[in-house]
Amino acid sequence: MLGAASFVVTLGLVSTLERQVSDAFDLRRATEVRIEASPGMDRSWHREDRLLRVRALNGVESAGWRVMPIEIGLTRLPQNPPVNVQLMGADPQAVAVMGPRVVAGRAYDWFHETTEQKVIMLAKPMADRLGVPRPGGAVFVGDTAFTVIGIYDAVERRPEAMLGGMVPASVMAGIAPTTPTDVLISTVPGAAQLIAEQAPVVLWPERPSALRAIAPPDPRTLRREIEGNVTRSSLILSAVALIIGAVSIANSATAAIQARTAEIGLRRAVGGRPVHVFAQLLGETTALGFLGGFVGVCAGVTVVAVVCLWNRWAPVLDLWVAAVAVVASATTGLLAGLWPARRAVRVQPVSALQH
Amino acid sequence: MSALKPTSLDIEPGDYLVVTGTSGSGKSTLLNLIGLLDTPTGGRYLIHGVDVARVSEGERCAIRGRMFGFVFQAFHLLPARSALENVEMGMLYNGRSRLERRRVAMDALARVGLADRIDADPRSLSGGERQRVAIARAVAGSPRVLLCDEPTGNLDSVNTRAVLDLIDELHRDGLTVVLVTHDEDVARRGKRRVVVHDGQVVEVSRVARASWTSWVWRPHASGRATWSGNARRPCCGIGADHYLRRLARCLGRRRSS
Repeated sequence: MLGAASFVVTLGLVSTLERQVSDAFDLRRATEVRIEASPGMDRSWHREDRLLRVRALNGVESAGWRVMPIEIGLTRLPQNPPVNVQLMGADPQAVAVMGPRVVAGRAYDWFHETTEQKVIMLAKPMADRLGVPRPGGAVFVGDTAFTVIGIYDAVERRPEAMLGGMVPASVMAGIAPTTPTDVLISTVPGAAQLIAEQAPVVLWPERPSALRAIAPPDPRTLRREIEGNVTRSSLILSAVALIIGAVSIANSATAAIQARTAEIGLRRAVGGRPVHVFAQLLGETTALGFLGGFVGVCAGVTVVAVVCLWNRWAPVLDLWVAAVAVVASATTGLLAGLWPARRAVRVQPVSALQH
Repeated sequence: MSALKPTSLDIEPGDYLVVTGTSGSGKSTLLNLIGLLDTPTGGRYLIHGVDVARVSEGERCAIRGRMFGFVFQAFHLLPARSALENVEMGMLYNGRSRLERRRVAMDALARVGLADRIDADPRSLSGGERQRVAIARAVAGSPRVLLCDEPTGNLDSVNTRAVLDLIDELHRDGLTVVLVTHDEDVARRGKRRVVVHDGQVVEVSRVARASWTSWVWRPHASGRATWSGNARRPCCGIGADHYLRRLARCLGRRRSS
């Protein structure tokens, strides 16, 4: 019963978790595309009108350009020693792709971008190091003051943004004119592969091959791989559970048959042949296994349902799992009864009666 | 070490043989060999001319189920079954239908005076009643021989008398009885007596009861026990005699091939 229950619970919970893992994977990782130029290329491929066409592609949620992070010294006051941080330039669309969770102030917008306002968004760890408790103050890059417009404590994509801060891309281009740039794109689930093919052509129709699109692996393939791995692991776990169940049934069967030695002797005394007693004992352990399997399946399905209800998950459990668990339990009962039954019928009736 | 030394013993149909002896003398071993519950390591055991010491285990089981009924000192009733089901179990391997088993079991229980206790759990019965259920189970399958191993060992004097009266009655109806006991009063009920001492049948004597005169004792040089004559009791299904005749033909064919 325990074996069947753990079989159903393991497979049921794993199937449900597979769905949860896959959903989470699709939403976070499989919706990001980054376009970068080949090494040594200048910024001539970078044109706003072409970026507008990328934003118009079906499946694109946000697309913006970014000046890659560089290490730069920031100070609270010009006379203070600088604190080295990773500073990047990003237009408001690129900021939207990175998805910073702003805990104080706000994100800069197209006004700041187009008018090259010297504003900065700081990651919370950096703001703490610099001693910037809230937006509104200023930090310095050399002698240039930047107004802290917002502080964020997490990002959905591009974790390097947590190592410093971000300023409008147009401002960053002035600070680091030779730093390479890339384009960050977020897509709807499932569109990343297609956008990775289309975006270089749209961004630079003359030389699309000079651009490199970096997209996550095909989510369907990856999902299948992950699900396959998880299913294999769960099957191994279930097999272990069934083996434990088999050993437990074998122990119980041996003990039960041992306790019935006198009855076996009596059955032999009234004319029962070894094959009669053997078939009866095997039938009993098989029926016990079947019944235990059925009860175990009911218990397992209940546990899966309760766990899913508790976590607000949609339970996923194939019917064949229940059928396999019951059949496997019955077979386990049959196999587990073989040895004790064989041993029982070998005992002479007179010895069994004296037990 | 041998539990029973080479010995010869004939049992005729209608016998009431009492086996006595001290504890550990081998009397129960003798009974178990007669009832085919144990296999002799040597010698011959002839039933209707068939050497049953040489037949297969399956054939021994078939003969045992048709030929012998057992009554044990410890009753050996199944505790989770009713008295009726316990009696039915005595016919489980005789090829009778479920309905017939039930009918015969009810008759057998009525015969031993327990018609009103058919649904009783054996644990709720007295010692005497349990032994009567055991006797009903033993005779329900219409055996040729009733083998009783200390049937009154666990009973008080009143129940002892009742059980022995019942066995006497069954014997008067034609059932051959072999009874093992160490109780002299019980032993006096028999027609013949065999005394076993240290595994050796040392004495065979007729019990001094004037009306019983027909007994046969034929000693043999090599260890041998025989069962001869024709059984008189009817038997349902394939009876012991029919089975043994068929078995003898089968064994003859095996030897010739």
